[in-house]
Amino acid sequence: MSSYEIYLAVGVFVPLITFAFLAFFGHRLGKPLSGWAAVGGAFISLVLATITLIGWWGEVQSGTTAEMTANAARFHWADLGSIPATVGVKLDSLTVIMYFMVAFVSFWIFVFSIGYMSGHSDEIDGQCEYHRFFCFMSLFLFSMLGLVVASSLLFLFIFWELVGLCSYFLIGFYFDKKFASDAGIKAFVTNRVGDFGFLIGLMMVFFFLGTLDLDQAAVTFEKAAHLAGAAPVHDYSAFATQWLADNPELVGVVNEHAVTAAGLFTSPFTIFGAGLATIMGIGLFCGAIGKSAQFPLHVWLPDAMAGPTPVSALIHAATMVAAGVYLVARIFRLLTPEAQMFVAIIGCITLTITALIAIVQTDIKKVLAYSTLSQLGYMIFGLGVGAWIAALFHLMTHAFFKAMLFLGSGQVIEGCHHEQDIRNMGGLRKKMPFTCWTFFVGVLAIAGAGIPAVHFGLGGYFSKDEILAVAYERAYNWSGEGKRQEARGKREEATGNSTEMPAARAMLVSAAEHGHNHAAGGEHGHGHAAGHDGGHGDSPKLGIAAMVPKLPKWLFWLPIIIAYVTPFYMMRLWWLTFMGKPRNEEVYRHAHEIKLMYIPLVVLSVGTVFCSYLVFRPMLADAAPMAADAAVIVSIDGEAHHHSAQALSLTHEAGKDPHTALIGIVGFAYIVGMGLAWLIYRNGFEVSTKIRSLPVIRYVHTALEKKLYFDHLYEGFLVPAIQYVIAGICNLFDTYVIDLIANLSAKVTERFAAFSGRVLDARGIDGVVNGIADSAIDLGNAVRRPQTGLIRNYVLLAAGGAVVVVMGVLLVVW
Amino acid sequence: MLTDMIGQPLDYYLAVGLTHYLVVSAALFCMGVFVMSTKRNAIGILIGVELVLNAVNLNLVAFSRYHAHSRLDGQIMALFIIVLAAAGAAVGVAIAMNYYKNHSSIDVDRGAQLQG
Repeated sequence: MSSYEIYLAVGVFVPLITFAFLAFFGHRLGKPLSGWAAVGGAFISLVLATITLIGWWGEVQSGTTAEMTANAARFHWADLGSIPATVGVKLDSLTVIMYFMVAFVSFWIFVFSIGYMSGHSDEIDGQCEYHRFFCFMSLFLFSMLGLVVASSLLFLFIFWELVGLCSYFLIGFYFDKKFASDAGIKAFVTNRVGDFGFLIGLMMVFFFLGTLDLDQAAVTFEKAAHLAGAAPVHDYSAFATQWLADNPELVGVVNEHAVTAAGLFTSPFTIFGAGLATIMGIGLFCGAIGKSAQFPLHVWLPDAMAGPTPVSALIHAATMVAAGVYLVARIFRLLTPEAQMFVAIIGCITLTITALIAIVQTDIKKVLAYSTLSQLGYMIFGLGVGAWIAALFHLMTHAFFKAMLFLGSGQVIEGCHHEQDIRNMGGLRKKMPFTCWTFFVGVLAIAGAGIPAVHFGLGGYFSKDEILAVAYERAYNWSGEGKRQEARGKREEATGNSTEMPAARAMLVSAAEHGHNHAAGGEHGHGHAAGHDGGHGDSPKLGIAAMVPKLPKWLFWLPIIIAYVTPFYMMRLWWLTFMGKPRNEEVYRHAHEIKLMYIPLVVLSVGTVFCSYLVFRPMLADAAPMAADAAVIVSIDGEAHHHSAQALSLTHEAGKDPHTALIGIVGFAYIVGMGLAWLIYRNGFEVSTKIRSLPVIRYVHTALEKKLYFDHLYEGFLVPAIQYVIAGICNLFDTYVIDLIANLSAKVTERFAAFSGRVLDARGIDGVVNGIADSAIDLGNAVRRPQTGLIRNYVLLAAGGAVVVVMGVLLVVW
Repeated sequence: MLTDMIGQPLDYYLAVGLTHYLVVSAALFCMGVFVMSTKRNAIGILIGVELVLNAVNLNLVAFSRYHAHSRLDGQIMALFIIVLAAAGAAVGVAIAMNYYKNHSSIDVDRGAQLQG
């Protein structure tokens, strides 16, 4: 157990203490103080996260991270049946960096919140609720940090639900307003739908893999794939080898459960051609669909903007929605190629439709919400295509610039007195210069602006383009099909089953353990070891040798098109808000900027510009080998590698810089997109109104404005249909089961009552009571008779009595 | 005990002893009871009560004399009873007078209003 684990664990619990403190004493602290208390808690977490990050950075440099990860302590918590549930810190670069990101963004959003809430009503039904806001924010921070450090799926799930609960509380913060409480409920219920799948996945993991520990589950899964013959080469990934060497006491358990788990691959049970192993992965991914608001459960996120803006920034842009992506990253080793394809398709659909919807939205927060959805789609898509590093890198950069964008929108909304409609804004740059230009940095970052030749750019320039580069590799330079067939043949041979199995349960090629990506990294002076010692060698191990299929072309081209749409709608938003002429004099006149609120904006924009590429990217590259079997890794200098290229005889041209490879396609997408937006919106809505009235576009526009009718579909069809079905089932159940039981029990009760009334009561209880009374009366009558009222009788009786007594005594004595 | 009394020499019967006192006492007691139970006159009943009490006194004194070996418990008890009898007689007479006021008679048989 290293000190990092202690730092991280303490950092998790500090916000919990703040939460408890605010919950009990918050109302006494009053308006600004309780906010500062929450900031204090977040600050401690941030300090611990920073210490850990700096220390860990040193470990990354010296290449000792694998050792630290292996030595991370696991404590026995409880026994679930015969399976022990362990608790511990999942200590690797991803945890450290994610932890830091959450703590950092949260801290600055907390600071921002104080300024924001000072201008907002904090009374609900006449009661001051200011402390409640910070109370739940602290609870959220606790849950999110807990989620990040959780080493087992069980704890991950617990914190997962806690995070969802906090989201519900905070969306519905103004619960006296109908739309806010509705949005809270919608978010919560939609998430439940996803969590249902998550739970199924969790149960399958528990049942088949016999553990809820992330690492152990991954190793068991890999072993099971070998046992079932789903992987063509019987060799283990460096991760599994290392893990088994580090945990010799668990080898027996793993081997034992791998036999059961092999059923995941060999079971003939399928749903739409997906075997149990795939279903398990998809089930777990369902949780991410809900939490990261992916199609088709994306509908809750735009509505969640009903919460206060800092909440939108913290939860619904930077951290919580990223939890889904984080989950997929964590369970990456449990995903079969089919499951990964499913992930990629969901991500691609999400990023496409939500970006299109974002074009026509007029609420500043709604545009940002849809852009968040689109970016989350990119992350999920990235994970689906095997761009593990790139997707998480995008998560980090996105967290920064999206938090900043949301805080900027909060500043605008606050400064314009709760005006959220960009049609009423315009020209705000003069009133809020800081907000304007930090917002512009955010726009550039999300648009992926950069200069390809000199290797300089903001956020999305590296992360999004890297995802696209990997997608390009998968779509054009990949030839996994042959090996896929081979895998299938091998398995059939192994199982002696010649019938066509529904899907080749092939696994991703373990890529990361092959060390040959680092020569280039060293040349470019970044000098970190992105791989681990176990991987270096002339004959690279394949791990679970398995195939990821070649990507369909549309899965590459749709994200490329959307890469043009993203700068367009962001530029539209920024221009309409800050540039041009004021469209509403009233709003413009009152607009102002709040001092405390622009500090976080500046800090986050600096983070966006400098931090992400220099720190996050190398750290993620460090985490990748142990956390995932990513098929393609674009190393730090931007070169794309198939790590297992040689072993798999891939037809692949080595060494492609994503930006040189893609320069003709997306290299200048941001200029095109932003330029187009400028052309259309530079004079407000004049041009766009004309475009809108064009024949076909009109219908498209309406459809997009109505959010592609998803809400209508759900509210108008799905929910009523489900309600109808459920109502019908409930009705049948009511009529034939509940009523039957009720009637039966009524009959029984009636009979019993009759018996009890007529027999027990009338004869038993009443008989006893009356009998006592009657005997008392009889006794009274009997003893009344001698009471004649004549003294002589009494005397005689007394004398007679005395005589009797004396006679009795004499008799006894004799 | 009673059997001892049978078939004794004459001296045994003539010499005044405890038995004689007890016999007198018993006779007095019986007379008292008889008076109490036959008289309808309240004063008569009071006299019967006195007889019973004095029978008891006689018993106490006799037993004290013959069995208590120079201790005076019985005598003292008798004195108490005499005092209490006097007090009781006074109360009884007072009751009789009030009774007379209410009923214009001291016939106790007419005082049966409380009979259930």
